[in-house]
Amino acid sequence: MFQRLLVANRGEVAVRIARACRTLGIAPIGVFSEADRGASWLSVFDESVCIGPGPASASYLRADRLVQAALQTRASALHPGWGFLAENARFAGLCAQHGVTFVGPTPALMDLMGTKTPAKRAMRAAGLALIPGSDEPLATLEEALACARAIGYPVLVKADAGGGGRGMRRCADEGELREAFAAARAEAEAAFGDGSVYLERYLERGRHVEVQLLCDAFGGGIHVGERECSVQRKHQKLIEESPSPALAPAERAALGAAALRAALAVGYTSAGTVEFLRAADGNLYFMEMNTRLQVEHPVSELVSGLDVAALQIRIAANERLPLAQAAVRFQGHAIEARINAEDPERGFQPTPGTLRAFALPTDLGPGTLRVDTHLCEGDEIPPHYDSLLAKVIAHADTRAAAIETLARALGAARIEGVATTIPLHLAVLASEDFRSGQYDTGSIPGWPPARAKTRVKA
Amino acid sequence: MARIPLVPLGRPLDAFLGGVEAARNREQAGAREQRLGVERQAVRAGWGPEYEARVHEKEKLTTRERLARLQDPGSRLFEVGTFVNHGRKFGKQSSPAAGVITAFARIAGRWTMVIANDNTVASGAWWPLTPEKIERAQEMALRLRIPVVYLVDCSGLYLPEQAHSFPGRTGAGHIFKKNALLSSAGVPQIAGVFGDCIAGGGYMPIISDRVIMTEQAYMVIAGAALIKGAKAQHLSSLDIGGPEVHVAQSGCADERVPDDEHALAVIRREIEKLPTSAVAYYRHGAEALAPHFAPEELAALVPDDHRHAYPAEEVLARLVDQSLFWELHPERGRETITGIGRVNGLYLGFVINRQGLVDDPEHHGKKKPAGILYQEGIAKLAAFSRACDADGIPLVWLQDISGFDIGVEAERLGLLGYGSSLIYANSTNAVPMFTVLLRKASGAGYYAMAGLPYEPVVQLSTPLTRQAVMEGRTLAIATYNTNLDDEFEIATTDPAERAKIAEGMRTVEKRIEGDMDPYQAAARMDTDEIVALGELRAWLELFAEAAYQSTGHRRVKNPRIWSLHDLAVLARERG
Repeated sequence: MFQRLLVANRGEVAVRIARACRTLGIAPIGVFSEADRGASWLSVFDESVCIGPGPASASYLRADRLVQAALQTRASALHPGWGFLAENARFAGLCAQHGVTFVGPTPALMDLMGTKTPAKRAMRAAGLALIPGSDEPLATLEEALACARAIGYPVLVKADAGGGGRGMRRCADEGELREAFAAARAEAEAAFGDGSVYLERYLERGRHVEVQLLCDAFGGGIHVGERECSVQRKHQKLIEESPSPALAPAERAALGAAALRAALAVGYTSAGTVEFLRAADGNLYFMEMNTRLQVEHPVSELVSGLDVAALQIRIAANERLPLAQAAVRFQGHAIEARINAEDPERGFQPTPGTLRAFALPTDLGPGTLRVDTHLCEGDEIPPHYDSLLAKVIAHADTRAAAIETLARALGAARIEGVATTIPLHLAVLASEDFRSGQYDTGSIPGWPPARAKTRVKA
Repeated sequence: MARIPLVPLGRPLDAFLGGVEAARNREQAGAREQRLGVERQAVRAGWGPEYEARVHEKEKLTTRERLARLQDPGSRLFEVGTFVNHGRKFGKQSSPAAGVITAFARIAGRWTMVIANDNTVASGAWWPLTPEKIERAQEMALRLRIPVVYLVDCSGLYLPEQAHSFPGRTGAGHIFKKNALLSSAGVPQIAGVFGDCIAGGGYMPIISDRVIMTEQAYMVIAGAALIKGAKAQHLSSLDIGGPEVHVAQSGCADERVPDDEHALAVIRREIEKLPTSAVAYYRHGAEALAPHFAPEELAALVPDDHRHAYPAEEVLARLVDQSLFWELHPERGRETITGIGRVNGLYLGFVINRQGLVDDPEHHGKKKPAGILYQEGIAKLAAFSRACDADGIPLVWLQDISGFDIGVEAERLGLLGYGSSLIYANSTNAVPMFTVLLRKASGAGYYAMAGLPYEPVVQLSTPLTRQAVMEGRTLAIATYNTNLDDEFEIATTDPAERAKIAEGMRTVEKRIEGDMDPYQAAARMDTDEIVALGELRAWLELFAEAAYQSTGHRRVKNPRIWSLHDLAVLARERG
């Protein structure tokens, strides 16, 4: 096992990884930017290194400085956390080249899963279903129309090289597709220098369901159940829970097994998540694979009793997984709320500042509570980074009891100095849509509260 | 110190190159690559569809069809010598690719050298330079110790030109000596005989470890046409030396198969019995990863005009895995970059010429043009070349060089001496070396950086390559030196005389420029192949995998015993 591990990240995730290190008897080493110098959370590390100025591009995104920090502190492993360089294959390659074990999958797998079309091809070959669509780029309108007829409207026209919704058009019928096709091609050509256009069935009212996996370097693997992450705003997850209220127990086991089989088929190692879109008709389609630990991993930890972060580090040290799938038992229901320093009343504007008060209760029932945070009263929230303050996770025997516990904890929370997303969470937890489990990524259940009946575009 | 401190290299194209320049470079490269495509296509067509039809009538496959069935599905064929005899006429006849296809082909996961008579060009006859082309391919295989596959379908020497292909040191018979040398070095050779195999050609297959004959094949010292009484006895060449004789009676061949398809399947089966590639082992735990910056951008990066500079490190960034590179001696001999990168996870040593201006070590604060070698640069290359040879790291020489520095200072500093040290190192290296002539390959620089006379395993040109002792302009100056002043301007003031000298100089320049055309060089076998800049990475992947495929025949040290690390430590400033 590693003696010293560099956590190449900041804030909440850095503290979480440091905790996993302590469990394993590893000395955690931290890094910080000038903006984070003197932050209270740096005390969890045995040692920490300044890696540059506040902007992430000059510090937390500098692969060379992070590797240098690992070398000069004699850290034999590096955990990238999530965000920043966590899915950067070149960073992983650089670490390996310098003899620093990167806690994550191999660079080739990160490369593969980081590119849309190859990732989808690989996972389809490994047995997962994809959203019906054109597998190859479409050259002519006739081809597009034929393809759309086969898969059914509405369809989504999209550029292969696209990202962030650019070059994407939704078409409800043939007339719209006729109009959109040429325009999408031209737009893709102009934006990406590649006019390849694909067609995909547009799925409405989908749910985001993902499976947590752990695979070791010896072909062993387990799934740690699924998570439902459909409460989203602009693709940012707000609330996650496990198990998903949308899946029946048999579906759940089959989904976990299918995701695990696919990951093992492509030779995946480390912790990872396979994301699916669950259509209204109950079909589950592969979306993408995240090759890292995820923000919402604690809900899986609470229902399984496993320490996913610690297991991920043990896998990186070439240990075999200590348990088989049959030994993974799921108990109760867990829900997590991400508390961000954003003002939900003002368009989720970030609200950096000083925490005049910061108290999140952990002693309320009926279930149990876990709070993952790096902050305490008096801390400064710098403007440069993601505004996550804390994750509050409730675990109870039933979903209703978990909701109850989480709502009580958030109701009793006392955070002053910055606006937070707690009012939103309380509204969601109180809403009938959420409590009944009937919600999807199309809208935030129970938000905004005054117009609870109208669906708001997320 | 087993660690190779590769660091990120390179920037996105738009960070160092204007959009207009990039577009212009791309356009000019595009035009040159289009010509390359057209010329390749013309060679591939052989003597055209009617000869293909003739082959099919005999219920045989064309040579290219055979290759497609022989290689692993989806793998790429890397042809060498495509343009040998390009543009040459023998009477009215042309000989596309000199009537033989020589190519690196992947068979059952192993790189092999396939040497295949082109049965759509004069029934696979041997032209002038055909023997040399075959021998060059054999040499590549011998140096890399990769299996050789012969697809024999050869009507013999093209007799009207026999004086140019029979008697010399590299005449046809030297192929069989190379067969013998390959055999003696333990390089597997497998031959499939698909048709005629007459006279000297008969020896090419039978020195092979396995000889497979189709029912249409015969091997004879002389065919029926030369045998007295053959007509009366109704003897055909097939009766004299077909599989019935050689497989069943003489033992000169091992297996008979009904047709081409079966022969190719048997050859694949034989290759499968050989040791698997050691590439995965020599990756030292790494994986094959693409460069972070796309190799296709090379066409936008290297300007068409050889006088225009470009950042050499950006070329490297588009060739090595994940664009990670370890530069050795970065502060010395800055007209060159030397260092280590991975290609498909395998370590290669790289040498490249910088372009534009670099610091002058002899005159503090001054600059001097790169693309030339000076004392420190030559010394650096020699030390690097020796170290790579000692460590077993295959070397890639990326040339864009006008030559050695000249003048009083150059002689005083002993460039001749340093140059001979570099030439000695490159001449005695046992490690595989590969040379790429990116653009200029002139003067002593072409020799010193492992140009073809220094026997790299393969030397590639690009559509931009210009090989010459000196540029046309320089030769014009040298030729008319007595008529020029110190600034190389025409000395005389007489207008008629001036015009005559100027015209003479233009003629010299033009002729030299024509000779520098890469297709002419390739036609003469002065370079092995012309490849587009964007294809270079794929070729380097081939070179790396072929160089590391076979164990036991050459030194491959693990990085803990690299002398490169010793050099780096000694060059490090004490802190």
